Amino acid sequence: MMSQIANKPNESIIRVPFATPRLAEIAYKVVSVDQEPRRNFVKKTLSLENDVLVVHFQADQVKSLRTAITSFFECLLLLQDTINQFGDSKEDKLITESIDNAGTHSGSDSA
Amino acid sequence: MVCALGIEGSANKIGIGIIRDGKVLANVRRTYITPPGEGFLPKETAKHHREAILGLVKSSLKEAQLKPSDLDVICYTKGPGMAPPLLVGAIVARTLSLLWDIPLLGVNHCIGHIEMGRLITGAQNPIVLYVSGGNTQVIAYSNKRYRIFGETIDIAVGNCLDRFARIIKLSNDPSPGYNIEQLAKSSNRYIKLPYVVKGMDVSFSGILSYIEDLAEPGKRQNKRKRPQEEEVNNYSQADLCYSLQETIFAMLVEITERAMAHCGSNEVLIVGGVGCNERLQEMMRIMCEERGGKLFATDERYCIDNGLMIAHAGAEMFRSGTRMPFEEAFVTQRFRTDEVLVSWRDD
Repeated sequence: MMSQIANKPNESIIRVPFATPRLAEIAYKVVSVDQEPRRNFVKKTLSLENDVLVVHFQADQVKSLRTAITSFFECLLLLQDTINQFGDSKEDKLITESIDNAGTHSGSDSA
Repeated sequence: MVCALGIEGSANKIGIGIIRDGKVLANVRRTYITPPGEGFLPKETAKHHREAILGLVKSSLKEAQLKPSDLDVICYTKGPGMAPPLLVGAIVARTLSLLWDIPLLGVNHCIGHIEMGRLITGAQNPIVLYVSGGNTQVIAYSNKRYRIFGETIDIAVGNCLDRFARIIKLSNDPSPGYNIEQLAKSSNRYIKLPYVVKGMDVSFSGILSYIEDLAEPGKRQNKRKRPQEEEVNNYSQADLCYSLQETIFAMLVEITERAMAHCGSNEVLIVGGVGCNERLQEMMRIMCEERGGKLFATDERYCIDNGLMIAHAGAEMFRSGTRMPFEEAFVTQRFRTDEVLVSWRDD
């Protein structure tokens, strides 16, 4: 895929720190699974620096760079929320507190 | 003993279910409902799911009275479906799997429906009619695969109903199909519509265009001019709903009956969101009884997309030894029912 990206690519490096190296590694594994869409011509390189997840984007066009970064952030935010709410195995207990069901335009049913 | 948590989010429903040895412990779900006349789009649906999913995981664990370490496997829908909402389920499933150190398993959505239907109804080896907003398939099990006998060659039956509901501006709450079903009950005036069965396959897009012309005469006049006298009709919305249901359900009953005759089967199982339509169940039951067969169907808790079916199918896979490397925990928009090796059935 690299060969399809020009000599002077648009680049962006994002560094995301986590509370512990273990959580950074989890994030690294979670986001590593998804490949960039083939026709996007974006190269995404992930690496770990102790407790920091480093993401390096290279793209031919600014537009495709933006698209790739936007979808990356959507995944990252969901991942961070999941870690915040369920992370650090201290949470391995029965849930008893009440749950707030936010969200508009949503129909809820206890199926 | 397998205890599984399942995450489903391939369309406009986001659901979490927990099952232990075939016993339902939790099944919670939220539906993204759009205003009348509008369908759900991938990006907005994914946003809805992102906002709802973590609360649902909590509710399900609370309802099941389980702690994360009680789970043996986390299952998520791998496909088929819309990629952005599928990815929401996959990201949370991957993260939970690593946080809690529990194996992860990707499940085919259609297999989830079939196995859930078999569990709830107790049907042993039925011909399966899988009808929903994204899929229309007649399926029979043979030699470790769920084989597709017939399917739609264009849009799904549920898509046809949903889009017709949009044309006549019916509410999407609780679902467009439900509102069509209710409206159809107040009519018995049958309007002749095209009937499109091609061998074992069916087609709905032409019927949709035809009925769109009847519902909104003149709107598409540039495309295919109809004779003037047909421009004005006094068909009510109820007449159209009734006639649409009768026609497309008759098509489904026909191909299901042919599959039964071919396989020598006397059981039919209806699964998928359209499967909770009571008129479809009634028509199918009449056909089954005439052949000395039996119909199995479930209600909206298990018919409509839910996390429980993913948990159950995943638990069956896990029990029979299926494992998935973490790198394969991606999602795929296209994933056919017959791609899955049914390792958990011995017949």
